[in-house]
Amino acid sequence: MKITDILSPEMVVPDLRGNNKPAVIRELGTRLVSKHSEVDLEELVAVLLERERLGSTAIGDGIAIPHGKLRAVDRILGVFGRHAPGVDFESLDGKPTHLFFLLVAPEDSTSLHLKALARVSRLFKDAAFRDRLIATSDPVETYRLIKEEDAKY
Amino acid sequence: MNVLEPASIPIFLTIAALVMTVSVLLSRVSDKAGVPVFLLFLLLGVILGGRASRVTFENYRDCFVFGNVALALILFDGGLNTPFDRVREGIAPAAVLASLGVLGTAGLVALFAGLFGFSTAKACLLGVIVAPTDAAAVFSIVRSGGLQLKKRMAVILELESGLNDPMAVILTITLTESLVAGRGVAPAALLEIPLALAIGAIAGVVVGYGGRWLLAHAQLPAGGLYPVLTLSVAFFAFGLSEIAKGSGFLSAYVAAVTIGNGPMPYRGGILRVHDSAAWLCQIAMYLLLGLLIVPAEMLKVAPAGIALGLVLAFVARPAIVALCLLPFGYKIREIGYLGWVGLRGAVPIVLATYPVLAGTEGAQVLFNIVFFIVVVNTLVPGATVRWATAWLGLGLAERSAPPALLDIVSTRILTGSEIVSFSVDSSTAGCGAAISDLPFPPESAAILLIRNQQLVAPRGSTVLAPGDHVYVLCRREDRPLVYLIFGKAESD
Repeated sequence: MKITDILSPEMVVPDLRGNNKPAVIRELGTRLVSKHSEVDLEELVAVLLERERLGSTAIGDGIAIPHGKLRAVDRILGVFGRHAPGVDFESLDGKPTHLFFLLVAPEDSTSLHLKALARVSRLFKDAAFRDRLIATSDPVETYRLIKEEDAKY
Repeated sequence: MNVLEPASIPIFLTIAALVMTVSVLLSRVSDKAGVPVFLLFLLLGVILGGRASRVTFENYRDCFVFGNVALALILFDGGLNTPFDRVREGIAPAAVLASLGVLGTAGLVALFAGLFGFSTAKACLLGVIVAPTDAAAVFSIVRSGGLQLKKRMAVILELESGLNDPMAVILTITLTESLVAGRGVAPAALLEIPLALAIGAIAGVVVGYGGRWLLAHAQLPAGGLYPVLTLSVAFFAFGLSEIAKGSGFLSAYVAAVTIGNGPMPYRGGILRVHDSAAWLCQIAMYLLLGLLIVPAEMLKVAPAGIALGLVLAFVARPAIVALCLLPFGYKIREIGYLGWVGLRGAVPIVLATYPVLAGTEGAQVLFNIVFFIVVVNTLVPGATVRWATAWLGLGLAERSAPPALLDIVSTRILTGSEIVSFSVDSSTAGCGAAISDLPFPPESAAILLIRNQQLVAPRGSTVLAPGDHVYVLCRREDRPLVYLIFGKAESD
């Protein structure tokens, strides 16, 4: 599985503004439904927040990977978001979160969902790469960087 | 009844057992009612001591002595469970609150106490006695509402309450002694306060590291002996520091943080014993304090006590917290919240026995007033703390994790990977997955499964179902991915 299979160029939000968890999740979700009308925004937000209730998906180092399962989608979809000033996402290390990768999976594709989570979390392992993503405000450049980093594995 | 008389021992034990059982069961009531359980213990003590005309000087002394031991153990337990990164994060604001904050709060309360006819010295003593806060009370209420406080807030409340007890103890003793001697507080005595805190901190670190070394090398034949060792460390830290004219409470707290953040054999067992010891101390302490109270005497000072309690809750605490925290760049609602939830616990009541013991004139009235201030400052913010947490958006958007079903305890210090347990919820990515599908790093594995209260060996084809408890062996650096898959760990 490649990141480019889940993330299309128009699914990059370079300027997240929300100042709390629900607001950021809504911003990312809004981008997703703009291209995928089969997804209901309210349902998506509810599913993602329900997962957050079981423990934050902000795994530290400024990264969060909000994710959930939805009946309405037929393949795994992703949205990348950049929050330049950083936002309190209740992260494991207590630091502000800057980079978001939202993942939505079909209800019956547990195995692929897990593979995507592992793939995305590995994508952000490199600190220099994370810094470049935080510094980049151009979505085209961001997409290119992600594609390039993902090709290394 | 003389407890030392052989025939009275069975009677004493029977009564004590019944009272303790009732106290333990009361904790369930408090969870539902959102009242800190200690108020119920205190009330039970008051009821039991109904005809408390037998209150004597001796009772105050016993309470003071026991109160000191109990507080040392409670602080030690708190310290054991305080991760070092939290100390680093919150130490600056908490230290300001515990030093300047205590002085400021005491000063403002004293100012108002003057209006009720207290002499300046006694008003200051009263202010100092009621200054220390109790974080455990806040957490218990927030948790019983199914909420969890944001880490940023919890850290400060916790550290503040650990650090302001030593400060208040020293001030109370200094002020009482000067009152009894009938002279003002000598400037030299004020210099002794930072010195006592410094000695306490150093003694705590030294004893803490000594304890760490001892735990790592003792190789004891029975697991049950380890908590005995850590209990001795607690007493030693307290005693050594006090002998060296330092703060015993600070020393006990610091020693516990030092030990708790190091490798520890039998960790689960040790923590559990200290948790129980802290509970037992709380119950016994509040019951004893409740017994001291003579309701008829109490009511005479009710108006002044309640008024000063309201002053502390609505004016002194919020104003001083705001002043102390402004330089740290907190949001207004965070400052407002911290100012509001300054719940009080046993410390002020224990401290209030000291002037009585020292023979300070009018100390009995002081004790009675302190009682009201504590009760008001528990009930008023206590009744609203859940609501305030939610309204100000300071609760975590997470529910608290269920406790682990199975504890795996090592009697030696083991390194490498850790065992973390998770409750499988249908909203997590791991639910519905076969074990072989879990994208774990090579060093990690699902090692154990509990399903319908049965231990199950997880095979590659085993599919995780909602309600399962899965135990994962993983390295610390691989935790983020495992958390991503299963959510928060149990007992996290």
